[in-house]
Amino acid sequence: MTELPSFLSRWGAEEVGPHRLVIRVEKDKLRDAVKDLVSADEMIYLSTMSAVDYPERGVIELNYFFWSVTEKKGIIIKVEVPRDKPEIDTITDILPGANNAELEAHDLFGVVFKGNKSLRRGFLLPPEIVEAGIYPLRKDAKGV
Amino acid sequence: MAKYVEVPVGPQHPALHEPIMLRVKLDGEVVEGVDIVTGYNHRGVEKLGEKNSWVRDIYIFSRICGICNAVHAQTYTQGVEKLMGVEPPPRAKYIRTIVMELERIHSHMLINAVMAEAIGFDTLFMLIMRDRERVMHLKEIITGQRVHADIHIIGGVKRDLKPETAEKVLRVLDYIEARLKHYKKVFEEDYTIRKRLEDVGKISKQEALKHSLVGPVLRASGVPSDVRVDDPYSAYDELKPNIVVRHEGDSLARMLLRWDEALESVRLIRAAIKNMPKGNPVPKAIKRAAGKGEVFSRVEAPRGELIYHIVSTGGPKPYRIKVRTPSFNNIVNSGFAYIGERLADVPVILTSFDPCISCTERVLVVDEKKGLRKWVPFMALSRGEIRVA
Repeated sequence: MTELPSFLSRWGAEEVGPHRLVIRVEKDKLRDAVKDLVSADEMIYLSTMSAVDYPERGVIELNYFFWSVTEKKGIIIKVEVPRDKPEIDTITDILPGANNAELEAHDLFGVVFKGNKSLRRGFLLPPEIVEAGIYPLRKDAKGV
Repeated sequence: MAKYVEVPVGPQHPALHEPIMLRVKLDGEVVEGVDIVTGYNHRGVEKLGEKNSWVRDIYIFSRICGICNAVHAQTYTQGVEKLMGVEPPPRAKYIRTIVMELERIHSHMLINAVMAEAIGFDTLFMLIMRDRERVMHLKEIITGQRVHADIHIIGGVKRDLKPETAEKVLRVLDYIEARLKHYKKVFEEDYTIRKRLEDVGKISKQEALKHSLVGPVLRASGVPSDVRVDDPYSAYDELKPNIVVRHEGDSLARMLLRWDEALESVRLIRAAIKNMPKGNPVPKAIKRAAGKGEVFSRVEAPRGELIYHIVSTGGPKPYRIKVRTPSFNNIVNSGFAYIGERLADVPVILTSFDPCISCTERVLVVDEKKGLRKWVPFMALSRGEIRVA
């Protein structure tokens, strides 16, 4: 048995469907939540992190999707970062598997993950898009 | 000057799609570190998905991969069906499952064939590819197309499975099952294959979870995680697949696990045909607009967990679709698995992750001390014919 149920009640998880739970945290609490989650359940992995741009609310929403192998639950941690200063702490030192997701969100949305040393543009994008300073998956991106 | 020699493996491979480069740092023959360099082929599929309608996107997303296209269509379609409140008929779910399991068999056969080729066993490559063609033919008689199934539509499938087609599928499966057992035996018993794969690229359970590795790579390291069982979709809640797990965590375990999974797929297809519900799987009308909401849709692709994040703000187009393919985790996050191995094992380890990229036809060997540069073929490297010392 894991300590996942107590983690979920501690962070106010809300069930949104079969095998899916959502936790909303402030961006400076993300690292605490991830550390707590990893220590509560050792059979957990970060499946993906999906960024969504909401210009009318002025935020980029980051959805960290974790899968618990033993409890068979998908735990989605939602964090919002401001669009004009999209900065958040990295979690790659806790879970190195977050590296590709952080690199992708940096390249396509311009989110800066503080402390991630391998952060660079052009991880996925061709040089002409990088040089033009375009973040193509932002809703107001021009020329893509 | 650095003490190590840097060997860029890649990025172009004309035989397969999606280029990638492994920048391998060597101390003599031993790998000290690997940088995985991507970005050669970003196609902007997610942006394209936002600009097209819900229905058109089925065909856009199923074209992400030529090998596992039906699972992409499944992940997308089941997510959209959830947002639209559509439930496909049970018979459609069974037909989708049969197509996806056929895809798993031919995908696992393909990567085992590529592995045989990478270690210089070209005859075995030819034999497996010959038998794989029979599976491709089954896909063609069911869906109408040999490579791209395109059988998924919102709320069902495009065409029904006729009884005579199902009989043919069962007949060919008998042949395929015997061949799969034979190849599994070859991989288990052949001296050369064991010598090249055993104890190479070992990954522990904790490492696999920490680095977010998925699918056969995760299961070969002793983690019983399979979306078909844990988070069932389509007809899997009724068919009840068995999870194949191995505990060795090396390249051989990953390849043998795939043979066992292909055999399990044969069993699933037989069970699906036997228990196929009656009814019409083809919907009369297709819904074209979704309500507000978001969904994380997961499917067990041949290479592992495939996950889509679909966001809808209502209307005829999606707001955002995030696609995370299994190779994006398995290849980009697996640099640690090469450290301490030999240069000739790099292609073996990469192939054992079943890369949906396959990149490495030619290799530029750079000797920094002597300032030498020469192009060598990937095959020569994998056979250990190139010495960098």
